[in-house]
Amino acid sequence: MVTAMTKLVKVIIDDREYDFPAGMNLVDAAKQVDVTIPVFCYHPKMKPVGMCRMCLVEVGNIQKDRATGEVLLDDSGNPQIRWMPKLQTACTMNVSDGLVLRSTSKAVDEARRNVVEFLLTSHPLDCPICDKGGECPLQNQTMEYGPGESRMNFEDKKHLDKHVPLGDLIFLDEERCIQCGRCVRFQAEVAGDDVLAFHERGRDLQIITVSDPGFDTYFSGNTTDICPVGALTTTDFRFGARPWEMNSVPTLCNHCPVGCNTSASTRLDRDFGGKTMIKRIMARQNEQVNEIWMCDKGRFGHHFTRSEDRLLQPMVRAAGGSLSRETWADAVAAAAKLLGDANGSVAVIAGPSATNEDLFTLKQLAAGVGSTRLGAWPPTHAGADLVAKVGVGKGTNLSNLGKGDAVLVIATDLEEEAPIWRLRVKTAHDRGAYVVVANARKTRMDDFADAVTMYQTGHAATAFADLRKQHPEVAERLINANNLVVFAGAEGLTLDGSRALMQACANFLIETNHVGRANNGLVGVFPGANAMGQHYLGFSPEATRDIIANPPKVLILAQADVVADDPAAAAWLSKVETVISLSLFDDEATRQAKVVLPVQSFAERDGSYTNGERRVQRFYTAQGPIGEAIPAWQAVARIAEKLGQGKARLSAAQVMNDIVAAIPAFAGCKYSDLAKVEAQFPQVGGDDLYYGGTSYKNTGGLGVQIASAADNGEAVALGDVKADAVKGDLIVVPTVRLYNRERVFQASEAQLMAARVAAPYVEINAEDAARLAIHDGDMVQVSAGAAQPVKVRAHVNGAAPKGTVLLPRNLQQTATALTIAAGTVTKV
Amino acid sequence: MKTMNIIYREKDIPNIREYDVYVANGGYDALKKALGQKPTEVIDTVKASNLRGRGGAGFPTGVKWSFIPQSEPIKYVVVNCDESETGTFKDRQIIENNPHQLIEGALIAAYAIQATAVYIYLRGEFWDQAFDLDARIEEARKGGMVGKNIAGSGYNCEVYTHVGAGAYICGEESALLESLEGKLGQPRVRPPFPANKGGGLYGEPTVINNVETLANVPWIITNGPDAFKKIGTEQSAGTKIFCVSGNVEKPANYEVPMGTTIRELLFDLAGGISGGRQIKALLPSGGSGPIIRINGNDDPILDTPCTYEDIAAKTGSILGSASFIVIDETVDITWVASKVTKFFKHESCGKCTPCREGTYWLDKTLDRIMRGEAKESDVDLIANVARNMQGVTLCALGDFAANPIIHTIKNFPEDFKSHIGAAKTPAAPKTAAAAGD
Amino acid sequence: MLAEKYAARIDQIFSKYPTKRSAVMPLLHLAQEEFGYVNEEAIQQVAVLCDMDPTQVQSIAGFYTMYSERPKGKYWLQVCTDLACALRGADKFHKELKEHLGVEEGGTTEDGLFTVEHVMCLAACDKAPMLQCNFHFEENLDMDKMKARIEAWRAEAAAEKSGAKKASAKTKA
Ligand SMILES: Cc1cc2nc3c(=O)[nH]c(=O)nc-3n(C[C@H](O)[C@H](O)[C@H](O)COP(=O)(O)O)c2cc1C
Ligand code: SF4
Ligand code: FES
Repeated sequence: MVTAMTKLVKVIIDDREYDFPAGMNLVDAAKQVDVTIPVFCYHPKMKPVGMCRMCLVEVGNIQKDRATGEVLLDDSGNPQIRWMPKLQTACTMNVSDGLVLRSTSKAVDEARRNVVEFLLTSHPLDCPICDKGGECPLQNQTMEYGPGESRMNFEDKKHLDKHVPLGDLIFLDEERCIQCGRCVRFQAEVAGDDVLAFHERGRDLQIITVSDPGFDTYFSGNTTDICPVGALTTTDFRFGARPWEMNSVPTLCNHCPVGCNTSASTRLDRDFGGKTMIKRIMARQNEQVNEIWMCDKGRFGHHFTRSEDRLLQPMVRAAGGSLSRETWADAVAAAAKLLGDANGSVAVIAGPSATNEDLFTLKQLAAGVGSTRLGAWPPTHAGADLVAKVGVGKGTNLSNLGKGDAVLVIATDLEEEAPIWRLRVKTAHDRGAYVVVANARKTRMDDFADAVTMYQTGHAATAFADLRKQHPEVAERLINANNLVVFAGAEGLTLDGSRALMQACANFLIETNHVGRANNGLVGVFPGANAMGQHYLGFSPEATRDIIANPPKVLILAQADVVADDPAAAAWLSKVETVISLSLFDDEATRQAKVVLPVQSFAERDGSYTNGERRVQRFYTAQGPIGEAIPAWQAVARIAEKLGQGKARLSAAQVMNDIVAAIPAFAGCKYSDLAKVEAQFPQVGGDDLYYGGTSYKNTGGLGVQIASAADNGEAVALGDVKADAVKGDLIVVPTVRLYNRERVFQASEAQLMAARVAAPYVEINAEDAARLAIHDGDMVQVSAGAAQPVKVRAHVNGAAPKGTVLLPRNLQQTATALTIAAGTVTKV
Repeated sequence: MKTMNIIYREKDIPNIREYDVYVANGGYDALKKALGQKPTEVIDTVKASNLRGRGGAGFPTGVKWSFIPQSEPIKYVVVNCDESETGTFKDRQIIENNPHQLIEGALIAAYAIQATAVYIYLRGEFWDQAFDLDARIEEARKGGMVGKNIAGSGYNCEVYTHVGAGAYICGEESALLESLEGKLGQPRVRPPFPANKGGGLYGEPTVINNVETLANVPWIITNGPDAFKKIGTEQSAGTKIFCVSGNVEKPANYEVPMGTTIRELLFDLAGGISGGRQIKALLPSGGSGPIIRINGNDDPILDTPCTYEDIAAKTGSILGSASFIVIDETVDITWVASKVTKFFKHESCGKCTPCREGTYWLDKTLDRIMRGEAKESDVDLIANVARNMQGVTLCALGDFAANPIIHTIKNFPEDFKSHIGAAKTPAAPKTAAAAGD
Repeated sequence: MLAEKYAARIDQIFSKYPTKRSAVMPLLHLAQEEFGYVNEEAIQQVAVLCDMDPTQVQSIAGFYTMYSERPKGKYWLQVCTDLACALRGADKFHKELKEHLGVEEGGTTEDGLFTVEHVMCLAACDKAPMLQCNFHFEENLDMDKMKARIEAWRAEAAAEKSGAKKASAKTKA
């Protein structure tokens, strides 16, 4: 917020003088010097509306001589102050030179007491049974500023509906709502989806939605954090537990490359065998990563950790072919033997939620048996190496992007693939950043763009390379931007096409001098939480491609559900002699494995991820163990120990020490470094929850961002862009939906999320549909490349460009095309 | 006592509502004259006339116009014809009977600030009037007075009507702008003010004036500021329309020079108190201003001149929009307080806490008082609740809602007392004229 | 569809404003006229026309009292019972009118013809008692006059039913 350029102004708050950047909100300014001005409607992330009147203060101005500009003094030599006749709402004022603020006085205290009393005239005062009880701004401020008791006649209170579903995920208690409008404004201003509004007026004012679907956005849960009362609760957590019974454990969301910092509220729970259980997940503040927000997938998706198909014991396949339970010692011995006998014909494919520690140990193990074949799963997105070179500069914070800056989003549906990035780019747009969205089709991000450019499916790299010719005015804005961040995905691209696009992006950034600086550079919209970790630890999608083409004798699958993702997997897996599977679930790969090792989810263990902005962040053990599952790195280390490669480490922290020693990029990433925190603005949680909301203060660490090559001053050379595109009459483009049939949504307890997953469909252009005699809603068969044909419903809705059909992945049990391929669609 | 018709010219010239009749009687000459001057000259003339806003606040009109930054390319004039204050019905008569004078006045204002368009915001219930006004605007367009190249001057300005849909709060200028933009009629945070960039209609600098205010402007341009100042007093120049309603024999609008006394208005013009009864109270500014206690028809307070300054100094109330609701001796003032409170409770937009909750609380408690179920302390309670609403709300509606309570209790404590412990007090006034159920 | 049926009128409404959203109130009036009240259909169509989320349109419909979110009688009678009118007998008139038609406050007669409710000041205080019927003012009333008006409306409705004459709907371009 405070940049060197901003003019400073002198302000007196409660008799002390301070300097603030001109134009700063008065509540924020006071807050920064620890002067509390209570608020309900104001939220530092949204525009002030002056509705609740809680922030009334005395405001005046230092009087100056008009002619000389000298401060006028009173008889005792103090500056003369002209006080405004009425109390002012601090939230609607900005600091200006000579402003004087009194945050408490008789009049102020009285006004606050009155506002609280007014609010309580309608409030049900049902704190003992309210989910927010114990962490409720209204409750706290009533204690602090309110009257002893209400003078309102209880019979006169309004009786309203207490269980209004606004969508499937959020309930409204109309009696508790204090009409602050934070939820309405969050949806309109921050999420850009104005599906909430006030209805009626006066005391009848109520929150409603009549949108279809209702209040069911990817960001809806955030409103429950900023609602200053218990009016909005999540279907997931309502009546789940009382806030004071729970511990909060810093953890990370493991679903996408944003790497949202989260906090798990846990307690010992009967429903979980008396073990510590995650009752809810909320955002944990990291202003550089997710601010105080998170998406609903991360918030509600934690049930999968307690799913009934979690693997509980190690298993080894007997000669006859069936898996039988074994002790860890025996399973480890079996795996070690298989690896030891493989003669170096070993490869590893690691999935996107394997942690840095897991990946490093896998790499060590492979090296120990003579292999360097380390594949990243899924093999869809190339160019992590380029991100390591010209990724966003150290200190990047998307919140700093505004006027004069630019963002390019290309080949990705950002909302579906990395929702919080979508949200942050949207707000950057609102602050004045020039946002360009380039895709082969329309996406929701288009709504928040200054320019939308379309290219022919599969031709992202050439489209980018030609940007200066095709759209000179757009290119001009990007080139001349003070800061430029490029988000590049791989939708509609082959692996080589993806590399070409990443190279084109890198070249553009280098040529236009947008590398090696904070708030400039390339971000890969990669799948999963740790694609950058995969890169730094030696795993690549190209290696995966090679492993598929040249099967090893022994393949270790580490949290890579290849059969669920890739329709060709069954075929290529069958060429591998032995599969050793480290998995959370009893999945397809497990069914083909010789040794199955149950590993822990993020919930049950410590570990670290490297997010898309190359920030290494750690998470802590939140939940009690499940069965005999252990962290993947530990399982791997025990095999290595058995193979005589050295003693297994005792903790994830020790593994990180090894990583720091071995991998230069991780210098400065010891667990103690990752755990460092510093004050962030706005303050949230704890005593400050009236202000920023109940999202959690960050006590677990802000993480450490790995410097890019450009940050380190290394000259980064331009590379060749080798265009690659698939030809065919009809191209099938796999797309990503945030809510899909990954295990996260299948877990039995997560019915809530399972119900949010769309039924399988394919999107077809109207012209193509007409040509193929397909109507909206028809069942069709789609085949693409070598994949088994699938039956899905056709959506003829203008979303797909001509000649292309969009087939979302993971909407059904059978895998659909993993990458773009020529195909056919026929009516069934 | 004589009326003076600067605005209600239909009283002197039948059918002046027709364009041709209006023009034949000097209509649109003022606009032409203004178009021949520099915009700043027009503003100076209006400033010099001491014309004050007739919408209630009495802000000097020329000064308001001079706040508009001339450099901005897009600017608007918005005419406030929301007219929803209890007891106010003067603007309606203007648009029904002398609409061209409003259109002309609005266009002069538009020229003075170099506005690109005029929007006339009418309360939704003025549906038929809006339809008719559209026809009048078309007449003026045909006459070359609206649209492109007005009266051959090269100045372009459109005039549009916009109907609301039932919300008193849309009379408040910033809520009106919100409503015109297709949003909830809830007041905006200020600054920025409507005259500032960012604060007006669609964020552009905007002048908002009441219908009566603008209807004065052509006369001022034609006759000069001094002629206008000669009418009324120094601080209250010109004529004013008084909407007289309630317990009088001849309720109606009366246009008289400022400074006419209350007695002249009520007795000479409005025919005296209904049924020859005694006057008990007067609400000079509709439901929203403080109530004046009047001890019968001989009370000297009736000789107060009706000017901004005298009403304030001598009655402790305000002239406001000059909506005189007359209350006779048979009426229970607690009932008046309750009626007015129901109005404000119904019209509170709900945006800010003290007004939203306060009006609800007052209403509920007054209901109990009216039912005879309240304690004496409940009267003190509502007085206190009303005081707590004062000065802390987002717009003046909160103050408006507090006023009647505070002043009815202060001026008529006996009326409130009579309900305490009275198990079956009638819930309506004792007067024949007002008797409901 | 409003868009087709009233294309010219809708164009004219849009032509007044620099934003589509400003047209939401006039279009809601139009939709109410068409559907009798602001039903789901009305909300959806206006939302599409104004490029707004339906929730925002519903919000507008809920805030302003002239939009009815429930069906009303063919003749929607709104009696002003505010202070100035009440001082001239409006409460009594309102009560008698309800009794005459046999309805409660806000209720509709069984034949679906009349809905009676009281409203706040309509800027006709000098002509009390008064009411508005489908937003047309009827002033200086008493029960005798009112009974005659009611008979006239009944006759009008009956005539219309037999196809004789079109209703006099409120109309504003
Ligand atoms: C709650 C409220 C209601 C108002 N209603 C009206 C109204 O109906 N008509 C009007 O002209 N002014 C009304 N006003 C005053 C306007 O806000 C504004 O001051 C006025 O239109 C300015 O015009 P003027 O300067 O010509 O008086 C109202 C103010 C408030 C606070
Ligand atoms: S639901 Fe909560 S956030 Fe929304 S308006 Fe009510 S109190 Fe405010
Ligand atoms: S009015 Fe300032 S915080 Fe609500």
